[in-house]
Amino acid sequence: MFEQFTDVVPSFFGWLNQGPLTLTIFLHTFIILPMFWIYSQEKKRLEQEK
Amino acid sequence: MANNYLKSESKQLATWYFTFAAIIFGAQLVFGLVAAIQFVMPSFLYQILDFSIARILHINALVVWMVFAMFGSVYWLLPDETEIETVGIKVGKLLFWVFAAAIVVVVLVFLFIQVGPADQTTIWFITEGREYIEAPRWADIGIVIVALGFVANLFLTGIKGKQTGIVTVLMADMIAFAGLYLAGMFFTDNISVDQYWWWWVIHLWVEATWEVFVGAIAAYGLIKMLGAHRQVVEMWLWIEVSMLFGSGILGMGHHYFWIGTPEYWWEIGALFSALEPLPLVAMFVHVLYDWGKTQGAQEAHGDKVSVIKNKPAFTWFVLNAFGNFLGAGVWGFFHTLPQINLYTHGTQFTAAHGHLAFFGAYATILIGMFYLAVQGKNGIKVMKSTKLSIWSTAMITGGVMGMTVALTIAGYVQVIVERAQMGATWSGYFDSQSGVWFTQAMDWRLLMGVITFLGFILLATDLLRTGKSAIHER
Amino acid sequence: MANKSVWSDNRFWQRTAAWVTGFASILLIWLTFDTSAQISMGNDADLKNGVTKRVPGPTVINYKISYEMSTKRGHEVPYIGGNDGKGGSLFKEKEKFFGRDDYSEKEAGDLLHLGKLGSQAKNCMDCHTLMGNGAYYAPDLTKAWLDPAWGPEGSMQAVTGKSTKEEAMAEFLQHPELYPTHARMMPNLGITAQEAKGLVAFLKHLSSIDTNGFPRNFGKIQGALNGK
Repeated sequence: MFEQFTDVVPSFFGWLNQGPLTLTIFLHTFIILPMFWIYSQEKKRLEQEK
Repeated sequence: MANNYLKSESKQLATWYFTFAAIIFGAQLVFGLVAAIQFVMPSFLYQILDFSIARILHINALVVWMVFAMFGSVYWLLPDETEIETVGIKVGKLLFWVFAAAIVVVVLVFLFIQVGPADQTTIWFITEGREYIEAPRWADIGIVIVALGFVANLFLTGIKGKQTGIVTVLMADMIAFAGLYLAGMFFTDNISVDQYWWWWVIHLWVEATWEVFVGAIAAYGLIKMLGAHRQVVEMWLWIEVSMLFGSGILGMGHHYFWIGTPEYWWEIGALFSALEPLPLVAMFVHVLYDWGKTQGAQEAHGDKVSVIKNKPAFTWFVLNAFGNFLGAGVWGFFHTLPQINLYTHGTQFTAAHGHLAFFGAYATILIGMFYLAVQGKNGIKVMKSTKLSIWSTAMITGGVMGMTVALTIAGYVQVIVERAQMGATWSGYFDSQSGVWFTQAMDWRLLMGVITFLGFILLATDLLRTGKSAIHER
Repeated sequence: MANKSVWSDNRFWQRTAAWVTGFASILLIWLTFDTSAQISMGNDADLKNGVTKRVPGPTVINYKISYEMSTKRGHEVPYIGGNDGKGGSLFKEKEKFFGRDDYSEKEAGDLLHLGKLGSQAKNCMDCHTLMGNGAYYAPDLTKAWLDPAWGPEGSMQAVTGKSTKEEAMAEFLQHPELYPTHARMMPNLGITAQEAKGLVAFLKHLSSIDTNGFPRNFGKIQGALNGK
């Protein structure tokens, strides 16, 4: 599953780049996940305001 | 000035900015025509005003008129949004003259001195030779001072007055806009480092901060021209900011495919920039949705009159919504994936995208702001389209669209012949440039450029005349 | 009555915008540190010790440079001083540059500095593209040093009356109006002999930068069918 590193210099981001899309899927997930938390906080606030 | 309905000094300053912007807009088109003629007739002004100089003036005039019109737009909307007079308006007026004078000097140096010896004096006083930001270093420093003054005015006014969502977004956006310019103000022998930071200015301007600016202006325009509901408009604005910055900031990776930077940028650039069209779809839907919604609400009350209070400005705002999506979104997506970009990078494809995107995303909405200013300055309640405004809109839009299609076709030839078949050498390049499709496309581009320029003359005439016309409701 | 949906709440979107923008900015800054380390310019010791850098040091002008397919990388890469047969550079084969292959770090660095300044002072990027960025009125210069037109089989050495690639390029840069290759001609930009030497050093160094395989198939196809 883990591909041999091909770029000139190994790096953290290069390492996350393990075949198709792994790097961007990781970064996108990291951006989306906290939005669940923001969502639930705001939901609570709206309920309290009511 | 006689018959001036503007009570706000901020709005008067805005009209100065708009006037200077319109003049530079004209200059942009003139030098664009020179460059277009040179593609068809290479001996035209050879060794007098070479392509490189015509192009510097073409693209720098583009950036400058847009920045002027953007500053003007902010000075225009600030009193409406904050409900107070702009703080530090005297400084603002002084900075306008400083900025305009600096631009005139830079243009004259570009025109008459053109190039210099290979040393730092050239970088400081003649040209920095870096596409879009060729302005010499002394002018860079001047621009930073002017921009800081502008941002200070915006912040002091925003803090003192009513701070709406639109003003909040503009404050955050404009400080990033001004700050990013600093990334383009150094010299290095390492061209990879040079281009890395150069893109911080160019990309983070046009694919991030400028787009958010457009979102804020569109929000303001919808409230002003349609009476759209502020809460709804501002919710859309926050969604647009999330999507624009969420895709645009890391979308910068699509410029880091081939400049010596690591391979992981292929993936980051591809996927984030592929999402960049999404907010542009959202903006398009948003403008049409609000239009339909307000009109429908009014008709439900039995009133059949149009809700639009400024027809020509609204036309340009709708063209912006569509042009932004088509030019920046679709034409950008065409060549944003690395497997395609390997062959299209640095060809007329990019030029096609550049023309439609700058026009669709920025020129349109800023022309719309010119019309809002004409309306405000002349105390017009409901501004209508004139024959001139309709013809100018049709000719400019049709002309730019025609240029884009022509350049896209030229791009096909270049990609296939030079890149795919011939491997991008000197002779491969000129083989592609002499292909029939290429040369014909360049003829069409010139013709469409002339139409655009004639449209601009009609536009300028209309902007000067329409304020006095009797057809508007006062 | 149901609660107002979070999805139509301004504060939710405002916080989302702040989070997304902030996090994307932080990631970009982090990536910038990582990339900056990888694209910093190498030095003479790297070349002598066989350390591959994306942007080699200026003394790379002492070496032979080629652009070949690397099976390891899956695309073409610049090979400096020969191919080691395992997808990397050999750093052995030298090549004379204006009659010398022993430029010191200082001499080569000065030449590159002059050439880079020259490339900006003469507005090269407003006709040409460098690494694909610039204007589209003239050929891309990323791998111009390796263009067959300037090599022993190309026409430019004969046209300019010079016997080496670098001398032919320097001559062309000083008097481009004398050697047209197309109706579109490069203008005379007042480039001096020393500036021309610097510019050629800049172009040779440019061709040694690892551009992830851009442009594809450079100079591999000669005499292909004309696409007209």
